[in-house]
Amino acid sequence: MSFRNTTRTWGSLSKALHWIIVLLIINQWIIAERADALPNGLAKLQVLAWHKSFGITILMLAAIRLVWRLVNPTPDLTAETKPWERVLARLSHLLLYALIFAMPLTGWMMSSARNFPVSWFKLFQLPDLVAPGEQTFHQMLDLHHLLFKVLVGVALLHIAGALKHHFYDKNDVLKRMLPFSDIK
Amino acid sequence: MTSYLLALTTAAALLAGACSAAETPAAPAKPAPAQSATSSAVVAAPRYVQAATGSSLVFTFDQAGAASKGSFGRFTTEVAYDEKNPTAGSLKVVVQIASIDTEDKDRNETLLGTDLFAAQKFPTAQYDASSFAKRADGTLEAVGKLTLRGVSHDLRLPLKIVPTASGLDLSGAAAIKRLDYGVGQGEWKATDSVGDEVKLQYKVSLVKAK
Repeated sequence: MSFRNTTRTWGSLSKALHWIIVLLIINQWIIAERADALPNGLAKLQVLAWHKSFGITILMLAAIRLVWRLVNPTPDLTAETKPWERVLARLSHLLLYALIFAMPLTGWMMSSARNFPVSWFKLFQLPDLVAPGEQTFHQMLDLHHLLFKVLVGVALLHIAGALKHHFYDKNDVLKRMLPFSDIK
Repeated sequence: MTSYLLALTTAAALLAGACSAAETPAAPAKPAPAQSATSSAVVAAPRYVQAATGSSLVFTFDQAGAASKGSFGRFTTEVAYDEKNPTAGSLKVVVQIASIDTEDKDRNETLLGTDLFAAQKFPTAQYDASSFAKRADGTLEAVGKLTLRGVSHDLRLPLKIVPTASGLDLSGAAAIKRLDYGVGQGEWKATDSVGDEVKLQYKVSLVKAK
């Protein structure tokens, strides 16, 4: 398996970035649910600190991923993929890329607006993006929640597309992104 | 007419008093430095009180690895200070704990609660210094005691004092450990998510006391 992408399949770095981000997003959702269930206090503060650190990790990986995508070939869809499928695939990929940036950024702004600055695993502190303000906080909170719903929707479409390629069209589109597949 | 004259003479007397108060320390200033502190303590240094605006008391604490800021909006300051005999100064600050603001309602509430500041039981924090000391680098510091959440500890506060048209500007920064004063009971005794050290930054505009 090559490190770089080819026009036929994804390289190991692209696969690693894809699946690590998937796992981190699921983890983020679990942590957020836990934080929501907690009353204000030390435990909530700690759980949210993890949520922020993982969120910033996703943002960093998203930046690497975008650069890697731009400097690498993108495996093409199969020849029999219909134009509407191509449009839908392109649109959902574009949205997913936008969301892995927008989710952490709105979360970061929530923290700044609430004057709870973000630290990355207590290793370094990030600058505040916006001035503290209750209204800004609530706007960002609503946006963060809305974007999560959009993310779930687009992710489901993305999964449905992958499964359709695999089971219905019987091509390699899903397999070429699987961690240990080796498509030449 | 009599009342006008009375006011005038009172004003003149006050003015004379103020002048002599400002001047006297210069006269017996020369003896041994130790003596000058005691002798001038007899002649009270000019007194100043906090101006209506232009003062701030900001604190910075570590929260989950990030330096976070808050402030106290209401506090009063009284200073006695004579430029010619700075060590004879005194400083008293009373902080209204309920005026805490960290730009977040929930956190403010938590901070005022029994496990942290316990504001209902201890509505004020107080700093009292009855003398100032010169530090090795020539700057001043107040030698006093901070009483916070009912616990008192000696605390020296660095002071930068600058005369202004209407009085003085006083500023400085210091650090205290919140747990020394019991700010953090129960789960809040842990310092991994909320640090023990709290930095203070103060800036006070003072006007001459009437």
